[in-house]
Amino acid sequence: MEALPTTDNCRYCLMCRHVCPVGYVTRLETLTPHGWGLTIASVQRGLLAWNEETVNVLYSCADCGLCRVNCVTDQPLPDAIAAARAEVTSQQLAPAIVYEVGEMLKKYENPYVQQTPETGISHGEVALFVGDEAAHRWPGAISAAQTLIRATGVSAVEIGVGRNNGYLASSLGFPETARTLAKATLEELRASGAGKLLVLSPGDYFAFNQHLVERLGLTWPEEVKLIELTSYLHDRFNAGRLTFTTLEDTIPYAYVDPTHGVRVPAGRAAAQAILNAVLPMPGRELFWRGERAHPAGTTALQYTQPHLADQLTFAKLDDMVKSGAQMAITEDAGTLYQLSRHAARFGVRVQGLYELLAEQISKSSAQ
Amino acid sequence: MNNFPSEMIRGELEEIVGEHFISVKETDKLVYSTDWSWMPQMWLDRGQPLPTPDYIIHPGSAEEIAEILLIANKYRIPVVPWGGGSGTQGGALPLFGGILVDTKRMDKIIEIDEKSLTVTAQAGINGQQLEWALNEKGLTLPHYAASSNCATLGGYLAPRGTGTISTKYGKAEDMFLRMQVVLPTGEIFRTAHVPKHAAGPDWARLWLGAEGTFGIITEATMQVDYLPEARLLRAVLFDNLSNAIEAGRLIMTRRLEPFVIRLYDPESTRSQVKKVLGYEFDGAYMVIGFDGDPDIAALQERKALEICMGLGGRDLGREPGEKWWEHRYDFYYPPKSLHLPWMYGTTETVTTYDKIEKLYWAEKKAVEEGFVDWNLKFIGHFSHWFHWGVMVYTRFIIEEPPADAQEALQLHNRVWNAAMTAVLENGGMINEHHGVGLKLGRYMRRQYADAWPFLLRLKQMIDPNGIMNPGKTGF
Repeated sequence: MEALPTTDNCRYCLMCRHVCPVGYVTRLETLTPHGWGLTIASVQRGLLAWNEETVNVLYSCADCGLCRVNCVTDQPLPDAIAAARAEVTSQQLAPAIVYEVGEMLKKYENPYVQQTPETGISHGEVALFVGDEAAHRWPGAISAAQTLIRATGVSAVEIGVGRNNGYLASSLGFPETARTLAKATLEELRASGAGKLLVLSPGDYFAFNQHLVERLGLTWPEEVKLIELTSYLHDRFNAGRLTFTTLEDTIPYAYVDPTHGVRVPAGRAAAQAILNAVLPMPGRELFWRGERAHPAGTTALQYTQPHLADQLTFAKLDDMVKSGAQMAITEDAGTLYQLSRHAARFGVRVQGLYELLAEQISKSSAQ
Repeated sequence: MNNFPSEMIRGELEEIVGEHFISVKETDKLVYSTDWSWMPQMWLDRGQPLPTPDYIIHPGSAEEIAEILLIANKYRIPVVPWGGGSGTQGGALPLFGGILVDTKRMDKIIEIDEKSLTVTAQAGINGQQLEWALNEKGLTLPHYAASSNCATLGGYLAPRGTGTISTKYGKAEDMFLRMQVVLPTGEIFRTAHVPKHAAGPDWARLWLGAEGTFGIITEATMQVDYLPEARLLRAVLFDNLSNAIEAGRLIMTRRLEPFVIRLYDPESTRSQVKKVLGYEFDGAYMVIGFDGDPDIAALQERKALEICMGLGGRDLGREPGEKWWEHRYDFYYPPKSLHLPWMYGTTETVTTYDKIEKLYWAEKKAVEEGFVDWNLKFIGHFSHWFHWGVMVYTRFIIEEPPADAQEALQLHNRVWNAAMTAVLENGGMINEHHGVGLKLGRYMRRQYADAWPFLLRLKQMIDPNGIMNPGKTGF
C-alpha cells in the first residue's frame, strides 16, 4: 500500500493533535491523526483487521487537511487515509452509505439529485466552475458570483454545473470515480477554450490543484490558470476595477473560514479585505481561524458520520457566539448550507459572501 | 478479564459517565496501549500486542473521577491517568489493564485573571489550545514544551515538565500556584490558593512528579506572563565544549536572565543541527536568547556576548539563532525526529556545574564503549540552565537494532542501565523533565537510597490499595 510510509510516520507523532477538528469535538485519542495512522499501521501489521469497528474509525476523519497544513514535514496523512478507504471499499467493507453516495457520484456526478448534469458547450476566455455544492446547496452564490464577475468587465462561461469536483469521491474511497469526474471537468474546460478557471471556494481550488495531482495522479493543463474567485475579486478591487458601496450599519459579524480554507490560505486575506470595504466595522475574530480553522460539518463526514459532522458545525456556531458575532459570512456553499441548518439555535444569521458583495457593487465598477 | 465480572464493572462505570464516554473497543484499546515512549512503539512496530486497558473512560468532572476511583478500590482495579500520551518513559502505559482515565474532556478554561496574571483551567486542556487562548489576551504560559501541541496541562505538571524557555521562566512546577486533586480514595480537595507562604510544609507539591501514582490532577492555576515585547536570538560557535559550558555558567551565575541557552555538543552540531537547520558547523553550536523590554534584553545580550567572546566563542549573528527558534520543534516531526526501526532513548540528566562535564563524558564513554558492537551514537545538548547547574539532554541511537522485539527491548534496557549507572555514579539525577514512568522506576531506590522507604510509606498511606498507575515512578 502506497500510504504505508505516511501512516508509519504519523502513527506515533502527536504534533498535530491541537488542530484536528474531530479530535477536538470528540476528545478521543483514536479519532486524531495519530489514532488513524496507528489504526492503519496496525492493520498492516496484523494487530487489527478491517471490520465494522475499525472501518468506522477510518471514516471518522474529516479529510479537512488541517493535520497536513500544520505538519512541518508535510505528511500527506489525508491522502493516506483516502488510500486506506479505497482499500476498504474495494473489499466491500465500507459502510452502506459510502456505496450509496459512491453510486450517486458515479451515475449522476453528484450526491444530491438523480439527474446527470448537462455538459456546457459555451466558449470563452474565462470559465467558472460551479460544481455540485453551489448548484444544489446554495444556488444564490452562482448568480451573485456571475454579477460580480460581470462587474469586472468579464464574462465567464459556466462549467461543471452540478458536477462534483472529484474530491468527495476520492475522500470516500472511490479514486476511479474521482478521476472520471475530474476528467469530465477537464474535458469541459478544454472544450470551452478558457485560459482562466475561476472557482467559488477553496474546496474547488484544492480539488483541482493539489488533490487532482497528488491524490488522483492527473495533470492540470498548464495553459489554464486556476484562480479562487475571492482572490480574483480582491485583485480587481485593488486595481480599482471593482468598487463597492459601504453599508451604513451592520450587526456584529465574523468571517468564517470555509472548509479547506487552510489548504488555500490566500483566500482568507482576500475575502476579509473585500469585506472590510463593504462593511462599516471590522469582523469579530473566531478562535478557530486561519491555519487552525476547523471546517463545518461538510466533507464526506456528513454522510459517513453525520453526528460528528453536526458536532463540527455546532462547534463553529459556538465559536461564533463566543466571539460576539451575530452574522456568519463565508463564500463556501457547503459551509453556508451546514451553518444555516443550525444557525437559528445559536441566534446567528448566515450570509453568503458573494451575495453580500453583489448587492454592494457600486455603479463605478468597470463594465 | 472474564466477560461476566468485566461487564458488571463496565455497567457501573457507564452509570457514572454515560455510555458515550466509556469504551471497550479493540481499536481504542490498541491506540491507548501505547504512549510516545520507544518501548511500546517498538513492540507494536514488530507486530507484537501490548497490554491494553480493560476500559477507557472519559470523565467530565472531578466528581466523576472520584466515583470511578471508588469503584476501582472496591474491585482492586488499576487506574491509569491519561492526558496527551506524550510521555517518553511509559508513564501512561496500562501495564496491568484496568481503567484508563482520559482527562481530555475536562478542558475548560475557568478563569484568566489579567490583574494577577494567572490562569485556572481543567487539567485535560491541550497545551497549545490553552496558549492560543492566553495569546488572545496578550498573555503566555511560558512553559514551551516540545510536546505542547499534544500534551495537557495536567501532563505538564504530573511529570514535572520543562519547556524550551525554562532558563528564565522555570519549569512547569515553578509556574504552578494551586491545584485540585482527586485522591486515590476518592476525596477531592484543593491546595492553598497561593504557594508561597509559611503555613506548614510544602505538601501541595507532592502531586508534582507523582505521575498519577498519588491521585489525579483535575484543575490547576498557573502563573502566566505578558507576551514579551522583544525576543532577541543569536548563535555562537565554540571550538570546545568546555568553554561553551563555562560561558553558559557565567551567563547564569551573573544573572543575565537568558530565556534560552541551547548548547549542542559537537556530535549533535554535526548531525542534528545539520539535518534540521541545514548548518554545517564544526564545534559546539550555542543559541542564546533574551526577551522582554527591548533595551534591557539588548544590554543583557551584549553582556552575554562579551562572556562568550572572552571564552573563544565566535558570534554567528542573529540568523542562525532566529532560524533555530523558528524551527525549534522541527526536531520532533517525523522523519526529522528519531524514528523506528531505530533504537533510541533520551537519558537526560541534571547536576551542578562542578559535576556536569565529568558526568557528560562518563555517560558518553559508558554507552559508546559499552555498545561499540552496535555502532551506538551518543549525542547531547545542554538546554535547561539554572543558577547552580544545568540539564544535559543526552540521547543514544542504534540504527540497526535486533529485529526481534524481546531482544531489542533487552538491549535497550542494557544501554539504559549503563547510562543511568554512569549518571548516578557521577552525581546526576536520573532525569530533569521527562519523568520516571516505567522506564526509570527501577532506579528510584538507588536514586533516593535511605529516603526510599519513606516514599514507599507515603505511597501506601495515600493509595492504600495501590490502584494508581501501578508500576510507575518505582511504585
